[in-house]
Amino acid sequence: MTHRADASSSLDNRGYTGPLIRGANPITLIETAVRDRITESLYWKEQCFGLNAATLLDRAVDLSYIGGTYGVGMRPTPFLCLAFKLLTLTPEKEIVLEYLNMGGEEWKYLRALAAFYVRLTFEPVDIYTTLEPFLTDARKLRRRRKEGYVLVHMDEFIDELLTKDRSCATSLWKLPGRQQLEDLDMLEERVSPLQAELDEMEQDEDGDPHNGSEGGASPVVRSSSSEG
Amino acid sequence: MSDLKKTAYGAAASDTDFRKTWDRSEYEAKAKKEQDERREEGRARYEAKLEGKKWHKPVDFSTLDATSSRAGRVDVASMVGKSTLIPAGSAIGKRGRGAGFYCEACDLTYKDNVQYIEHLNSKQHLINTGQSGEVARATLQDVRNRLEMLKQRKREREEEDKRMGEIDLDARLKKTEDIEEREREERRRKRNEKRRKDGQNGIKKEDSGWEGRLGIIS
Repeated sequence: MTHRADASSSLDNRGYTGPLIRGANPITLIETAVRDRITESLYWKEQCFGLNAATLLDRAVDLSYIGGTYGVGMRPTPFLCLAFKLLTLTPEKEIVLEYLNMGGEEWKYLRALAAFYVRLTFEPVDIYTTLEPFLTDARKLRRRRKEGYVLVHMDEFIDELLTKDRSCATSLWKLPGRQQLEDLDMLEERVSPLQAELDEMEQDEDGDPHNGSEGGASPVVRSSSSEG
Repeated sequence: MSDLKKTAYGAAASDTDFRKTWDRSEYEAKAKKEQDERREEGRARYEAKLEGKKWHKPVDFSTLDATSSRAGRVDVASMVGKSTLIPAGSAIGKRGRGAGFYCEACDLTYKDNVQYIEHLNSKQHLINTGQSGEVARATLQDVRNRLEMLKQRKREREEEDKRMGEIDLDARLKKTEDIEEREREERRRKRNEKRRKDGQNGIKKEDSGWEGRLGIIS
């Protein structure tokens, strides 16, 4: 089984016969303008040529920041170029999970990259079940913005992927809210890892239940569920 | 010419053993082969032109290797700032070795590193270097092996850094201390000399250590 070294088979949409994501060519998940910036960048031409899911790891472990585009000329970050390469490769689900779990333990930027890919390509239920465990991961990430670098944490980034509309120069497709999926019985109610702490806090406060969320690590906690 | 290995009186020359000996028959055969090939190609091109078509060199697609990613960066910065002499007629457009980035396999020169890298990715170059432009798809096992290998490499690098770091730190501190000591001594000596000299002339001069440094003019 082989695929072309450059992404030419997927870039031109007319003859595309590869795997589809939600009925469309996977690379259409990224907007045309950003797509053009990526394919014209030196990093893409030099480093992303001839990669497959295994050799992509060599590049991914050398990542040192996440981000979309930066600078006045909208230059793409290596993170975005590798995410685009993943979209053209469309690796199997196990491989992506391997990146997230095994690879991500060692290299946090690999985990961020895999999480971004999961958010773009998996089904809603799978997205929630795959990404929520990583809300406990508190490692620091460097994010490159238009003007400079900022500090974010891994759990902040994952929460952003789960709740916001845009991240890293792409508009993330509309994810149904967790409440909806729970009502449809596709997902179980979320038990926050901090639930024990919260309950303790509530007990300590002696009848002052809605104390707000404790700590910044899991903002998805719903403070009204004292019954667990 | 007579046998070059013998001197005038027939004795074997021993100081010319360093010269390379050429196997004439081998090179003769090689030249003949190349000439035949060129003639064949010329004939094929001519015939195709008569028909109004273009002749392409036949490529056997099954013998081409799979493509893989680049191991290192492409070297574009090594000749920056250096001047090279190039014969004037050595390049017509892109063909031939001219000024710029030269591709050996295709005999093309590019003026720009981006064009050069694009060329290295192009089908023409891949075929000329015997690659097919297809990349083998990675299986889960491949990915796992790769992760293991990268982890290994990372551990080794960390160990090396740790080892290098310990030794160097102490040595580095000592070295910087020594350097500072020496500088202080130098300055003291110079100051003493100046004072002795200027004391004789009756003019006292300031320590010139700060003059010129950071643009300070005394």
